[in-house]
Amino acid sequence: MVLAIGVFFVGPFAYVIWRNIDLGTDVWSVLWDRDTLQPLLQSLRLGVAVSLSTVVIGTGLAWLTIRTDLPARRMFRLLSPLPLVFPSFVGATALLAGFASGGLVEELISPLGIDTLPDMRGFRGAWLVLTFFTYPYVYLPVAARMASLPPSLEESARMLGRGPWAVFRSVVLPQTSSAIWAGGLLVFLYTISDFGAVTLLGYDTLTEQIYADKLFDQARAMGMALVLGGVALTVVMAERSLDRRRGQVEVLRSREPLTVSLGRWRWPCLIGVTAFLGNALIGPVAILGFWAWRGLTADVETIGLGTDVGSLWGPMLHTAQAGLITAVVAIAVVLPVAWMIARYNSRVAGAANSMVVAGFALPGVVTALSLVFWVIDAPVIGRWYQTLPLLIIAYVLHFGAQATRAAHVAVAAVPRRLNDAAATLGAHQPRRFLSVELPLMTPGLLAGAGLVMLSTMKELPATLLLAPIGFDTLSTQIWHAGDSGALAQGALASLVLVVLSAVLTWVVVIRRIESY
Amino acid sequence: MQLPVRIITPLLALSLLAAACGDDSSSDADSSTGTAESITLYSGRSPELIDPLLDAFTEATGIAVNARYGDSAELALLIQTEGDGSPADVFISQSPGALGLLAGEDRLEPLDQSLVDLVPDGFAASDGMWVGLTGRVRVLVYNADLVDPADLPASVLDLTDPAYAGRVGVAPTNGSFQDFVTAMRNELGDPATLEWLEAMADNGSPNYPKNSAIVEAVGRGEVEMGLVNHYYNLRALEADPSLPSVNHFLPAGDLGSLVIVTGGAVLDSSEAPVTGQELLTWLLSEEAQTTFAAETQEYPLLPGIDAPSGLPGLTGFAADTIDYDLLGDGLTGTVELIRESGIEQ
Repeated sequence: MVLAIGVFFVGPFAYVIWRNIDLGTDVWSVLWDRDTLQPLLQSLRLGVAVSLSTVVIGTGLAWLTIRTDLPARRMFRLLSPLPLVFPSFVGATALLAGFASGGLVEELISPLGIDTLPDMRGFRGAWLVLTFFTYPYVYLPVAARMASLPPSLEESARMLGRGPWAVFRSVVLPQTSSAIWAGGLLVFLYTISDFGAVTLLGYDTLTEQIYADKLFDQARAMGMALVLGGVALTVVMAERSLDRRRGQVEVLRSREPLTVSLGRWRWPCLIGVTAFLGNALIGPVAILGFWAWRGLTADVETIGLGTDVGSLWGPMLHTAQAGLITAVVAIAVVLPVAWMIARYNSRVAGAANSMVVAGFALPGVVTALSLVFWVIDAPVIGRWYQTLPLLIIAYVLHFGAQATRAAHVAVAAVPRRLNDAAATLGAHQPRRFLSVELPLMTPGLLAGAGLVMLSTMKELPATLLLAPIGFDTLSTQIWHAGDSGALAQGALASLVLVVLSAVLTWVVVIRRIESY
Repeated sequence: MQLPVRIITPLLALSLLAAACGDDSSSDADSSTGTAESITLYSGRSPELIDPLLDAFTEATGIAVNARYGDSAELALLIQTEGDGSPADVFISQSPGALGLLAGEDRLEPLDQSLVDLVPDGFAASDGMWVGLTGRVRVLVYNADLVDPADLPASVLDLTDPAYAGRVGVAPTNGSFQDFVTAMRNELGDPATLEWLEAMADNGSPNYPKNSAIVEAVGRGEVEMGLVNHYYNLRALEADPSLPSVNHFLPAGDLGSLVIVTGGAVLDSSEAPVTGQELLTWLLSEEAQTTFAAETQEYPLLPGIDAPSGLPGLTGFAADTIDYDLLGDGLTGTVELIRESGIEQ
């Protein structure tokens, strides 16, 4: 079964390789071309920079909201994962508009006597936008892990006289490192595959090149896709070998995790968290709200200004449906792989895992086309072409990585001796799994499911190509609106997307991690 | 995990139902006559701009249209990958390049001469593989607060002058810009085109991903001018009439005022090519062309229909001197030339 899952996820890579052979691409000459190497280095530079900043922010935010007495922490727990749901082109548009002359930022800072705005184009803007909108890849797994850490070690450390910072560094951090690495890896892979933000902010990456060449220089585009996939696979395998050398931390559900008192740092931390979320979430929402409000209150019905709230009801249901189903299916599909790796250190599972994770770095349109290629003429499953089940499969193919890393961390945390104890008491394997292991894995799996859900809700390329006709989602509505210059309608759809993701994240993920 | 199960079970049931229902399309084609009661359209044009026309078509003919909307280039890739199994009957593209690619791969069905003859010469493929539906004129959009109209160029070729250094935004990876460069290659040859692109690169022309981004940047004063299609600024002004961005139409006959058509074609894998042509013919009807002009502010291609109000007439613009077939076939060369010039920066 693990092998079958691995083969399923090999699909996109096999397609890219086949296209390279079919088009006669000379991959080496594509790779060593200055016009490829330069964007590749830019991709790597951005990927590393965004990973580093999101690791710091995601981990810090998780600790502050889960483990301390930060004021309003429950509200922050809900708000923190949400920026992930912004399609990156929406975030980039909002940032550009915000920092433009005459924009929101200028109005805010001009009374302070600052009249030169930082240039947000290029590396700086891309780094900022992607940091704001991808740190939840780190936040959710780390928060889930911190919520389930046993308090005993920390208590001991504190009784030995360590301060909160020393406890964090020497006890909490090592116990969460596998979750942090998992999140950082996802951020890296997402960043090198991102198209929306880098293209709007004028930062030339390999993925941007693939998009530019996809139609009229397919040989080069596919050659570069192969390079991107190769880079991703290398990074994933390197991270895995590091991960194997790290000791695994086992989690036992005993008591509430320890709450750290921030003392006099309580209010400065609150200001910091508020300022950060203000930029990552409230700022974009404010700009979108302004555009939508301008449309809703306008008295002329033109393409540019018209809004139609009622037309968003159907897309909203579709978006929720796609997000929820994909999250459940993705977890169910990758759990066996994660389980085999953690329990039996299986080689096949390790290879399958690398495939699942690296696939996330391929641009969405490549993954979607690979599915078309494999399915369109296939017996039986070909009849499902452009139906919902196949769309879900496309999402799982693209976002499986998010579930698999979270699941891996979750499975590895379950103490094996519990399983052994249950076996000694005569419980069969399925029963042991359901009654002993699954409950312990729940927070980690929920974090993975949450990531998949939010990613699916904003997915665009596969949705446009593979959704059943008429299955509009909020994301496709936003895109169409942007394409036809209907700013207000696009902003309104984006706001609905944020609210919907807030509700679903609360009901499905946060509430459960909290009550765990 | 009780709640998710309670939510998800009905959702799964719903989706299976949707899957079961999604299966019955395109099976109603009559292969002897090439007609069907419903056809599938892949449209690179947004639903906002074409849905009302499709509804009117259905009302007039009783033929249902199942429309999938997306990016023209991505839909062309989809059709290419789908091969003979493609569910699509008709493809409508924002740019001639994507149509040309499919024509070059023999994926299109030749259209009836009577359909191609609806539009003037030069607005359809000369081999009749696709037909133009509307036209967009390339313009130089400028910020009236920052640019003195007396400083505007008489030809797009003048933009390489150092006086315009750093002042003109371009979108080198955008389909319309690529079509424009292909037209230039056709008109001036590759060496002169490369020279122009390199001079634009030396002039430090800021890059944008697409037309609308240039218009927004000009509107907020980030860049003074930009090479775009004419209607983006018209829509931006509709949304915010106080914007200082103005379209500068370069003189008729100049490459800078090239007309780029949006076009439609019928796929060779379609089981209902006759019905597909019926749809394209309808989109070139007086009613549809008048709607296009009014709603999208693009130029109607059917002779006798007025240009959108406030715009110069289409006669005399460079379209009739351009061989559109080259715009499709030659695009690989165009992409390579653009990359070689270093204008992408």
